[in-house]
Amino acid sequence: MLVVVVAASAAFGLLHLAPGDPVSGIADMSNVSAELRAQWRAQGGYDQPIAVQYARWMADVARGRLGRSTSQQRPVIDVIGDRLPNTLLLMSLALAASVLLGTALGAWQGARAGSRRDRALTFASLLLYSIPEFWLALALLYVFAFRAHVLPATGMIDAAMYDSMTPWQQMVDRARHLVLPWLSLTLIGTAIFARYQRSTMRDVLRESFVRTARAKGLSESAVRRQARRAAILPVVTLSGLFFPALLTGAVFVERVYGWPGMGSALLKAVGDRDYALVSACVIVGSAMTALGSLLADVVRVILDPRLRGS
Amino acid sequence: MPIVLRPSRQPRIATPVVSRRRARSLLAAAAGLLTACSGGDPVVTGETGGTMVIVQAAEPQTLFPPRANGTQEMAVVASVFDRLAEIGPELGTVGDVGFVPRLASSWHWAPDSLSIDFSLDPRARWHDGAPVRAEDVKYTFHAYTSDAVLSEARSLLGNIDSVSVRDSLTAVVWFKRRTPQQFMDATYSMFILPSHLLASLPDSALLNAPFGRQPVGTGRFRFAKWDAGTRLEIVADTANLRGRAKLDRVIWTFVSDMGAATVKLLAGEADFLEKIKPENIPQVASSPSLRLEDNRPLGYGFLGFNLQARRSVANGAPLPHPVFGDLRVRRALAMALDRSRMIRSALDSLGMVGLAPAPRVLIPDTSALRAIPYDMAAARGMLDSAGWMDTNGDGVREHEGQALAFELLVPSSSPTRMKLSELIQAALKEVGAKVTLQPLDGPTALGPRLEARDFDAWMGGWAPNPGLQGMRQTWASRGDGNYQSYVSPAFDALMDSALTTFDASRSRGYWTRAFQQAIDDVPSVWLYEERTFVVLHRRIRIAPLRADAWYANLADWSVDPAQRIDRDRIGVGTAR
Repeated sequence: MLVVVVAASAAFGLLHLAPGDPVSGIADMSNVSAELRAQWRAQGGYDQPIAVQYARWMADVARGRLGRSTSQQRPVIDVIGDRLPNTLLLMSLALAASVLLGTALGAWQGARAGSRRDRALTFASLLLYSIPEFWLALALLYVFAFRAHVLPATGMIDAAMYDSMTPWQQMVDRARHLVLPWLSLTLIGTAIFARYQRSTMRDVLRESFVRTARAKGLSESAVRRQARRAAILPVVTLSGLFFPALLTGAVFVERVYGWPGMGSALLKAVGDRDYALVSACVIVGSAMTALGSLLADVVRVILDPRLRGS
Repeated sequence: MPIVLRPSRQPRIATPVVSRRRARSLLAAAAGLLTACSGGDPVVTGETGGTMVIVQAAEPQTLFPPRANGTQEMAVVASVFDRLAEIGPELGTVGDVGFVPRLASSWHWAPDSLSIDFSLDPRARWHDGAPVRAEDVKYTFHAYTSDAVLSEARSLLGNIDSVSVRDSLTAVVWFKRRTPQQFMDATYSMFILPSHLLASLPDSALLNAPFGRQPVGTGRFRFAKWDAGTRLEIVADTANLRGRAKLDRVIWTFVSDMGAATVKLLAGEADFLEKIKPENIPQVASSPSLRLEDNRPLGYGFLGFNLQARRSVANGAPLPHPVFGDLRVRRALAMALDRSRMIRSALDSLGMVGLAPAPRVLIPDTSALRAIPYDMAAARGMLDSAGWMDTNGDGVREHEGQALAFELLVPSSSPTRMKLSELIQAALKEVGAKVTLQPLDGPTALGPRLEARDFDAWMGGWAPNPGLQGMRQTWASRGDGNYQSYVSPAFDALMDSALTTFDASRSRGYWTRAFQQAIDDVPSVWLYEERTFVVLHRRIRIAPLRADAWYANLADWSVDPAQRIDRDRIGVGTAR
């Protein structure tokens, strides 16, 4: 709870200390008089001292009121309600695929460290790891949507045809729209997890219990199975750190693919100085960070008997 | 020189007759009614039918007309709602010349011109079936001017005293004083709202009311659905008084990345993009399925000089700016800029050199204006004679200890202005002026600096409304948006005269003199007017694009029956 309060307060403070306010976003229009701008500020309470705004905001949050989004002109809770399921869908699939593929690939590489195939895969994962997220998204968009025309470019559904589709066709349509953003995130996530897992696996394979297992005559596959179990622990911690992304989304991928998730909403809210929405996203994000760390600890304890005693 | 305001001529008392245009809309209405009566769903052959998918960067914030500000909102609002009368394609704003009936079938001026009776068409219906009544007009004025709503249009409605109801079909708009634009005030600034749905709500609840996301209007399109973040759909109102919209459906989708939006068009998933990046034009032009349409929106860009010392307004001591306070310096800097070459370099054929503080289409007589010529030698000579010399050989002129140096604020979101600012920096270096570029985020960083007058110069741009009343705000001495602190009693008087005379030729003369005054005073260097292209699928046929609003005639856009694709065969669908 303390983490959430501190993070949300810091976000509130930084956002208010930055130049401009929600009214500034529309203040360069020639038809908006200074008087009207002042009235808009008064209406939103942005003309109050920051301490007063903070006290009012904290009181509202304590009562469970997240306020009204100025960039979307509706309650923040409605914005989150609309966006969160989309982000959860995309990020959970991408995270699951990244963890599964990344750990499997990394473990395989770690067990064969230095081989030609390991070097090739290391190069590939390093390349993916280094590519900016938005660049990869644009490249996939170019290849699959623009050149090959095999996948839709943006959005979650075919906006014009969706309502006239059968339920099965609607499901397929949603899946087709999911492929590119999912692939962008999964490729990068897989690279991250694979690199991490490979390095951990290599370290584990040098540990004494592995040597003992081999000396006792266990088969190589049984040894690796033991090593994989030990090497998975750091990956669990890493997964816990990725957990908040389930809610905050992938900002650039959502932007490129027009995916209506939390990430793109947050990006726009920051640009529009939408105090209420940004603060709500930070609250949710920091709560998820705390929860992610807790879950990671729990899973580590389940997986590692040595931690149970401590 | 003081300007004498002569007694103005009374505006034309207008009772519109059935023009060809009107006759056409009546025929279209009849056709629409026939379609509706026959229970026919989509007509998939002929003039009507089809779906247009628009891709745009931003999602609307609200569809409640008094708080709809940007193009992303106005395109939907103007399709779903009606005004009492609509401005003509020439964008004339004097009296009612050029205006065509919308919800009002006719209007009558009072003998003293201080009121106008608007007779509503008795057949007009809201999309929920309720009849349109004069009470709706009265309520609309109330909502637009409410302290709780704080509509942006409120400042344009200041001359309207009140709206009364003479009978259920006659609304009377009362004015505080006669002005040439009073008819425009009563029509252009307000979309009529349904009082039967909104009047029962307190004003303070209007901004949060569901109506803002599920509007009910009278336009030739009706609102169908809005899936937040995904799509917004309007469909033809098949029983509309003025005839159903030719398209069955218009769907907005939202992609904030311009590159991805262009791919969506090229992949055939969308049919329309309001503005394309110049670098993407060749690719779109070579696409067999797309075409470009010239669009010249109302707007102009300039290099604005702060004529007062930075922050001197805030400190209560308005002092002249150490560099720009001298007219000779401003003129010299203007003469050092080869604007034709700069605009060609920055915009190629997509730009025109700016003439004055208004776009060409709103300048009554462009040929009468004399621009400051490009002349480097004269610029250097003028700076010399003003006492600005490079005494220490560092390439920058000085005068009484002040270097000829200034910071130029540039909105980082505008590639055009970024590019032009670099060209300005290079050009002014040639005459011994040092320009430091300061790119800033427009709304959040640049805006506050301008409001505080905490700047030397900025790369500005305005998009005025027809009628140019907004110039009082942007260039008049006491205008809120006159960030340059340009003070010229002569300019103010000429502009006031131009805005208040009823005589069109006299108004034209005043405007010419006012613009020339602004050119000669050089509060800014008028840089460019941007020419943009809308991108369309080839099967979409459009009505002429109006300079103030490309979407103004959206209901008359159609799909070529011979080129229809799958999405054109859906019809108006379940949303009816």
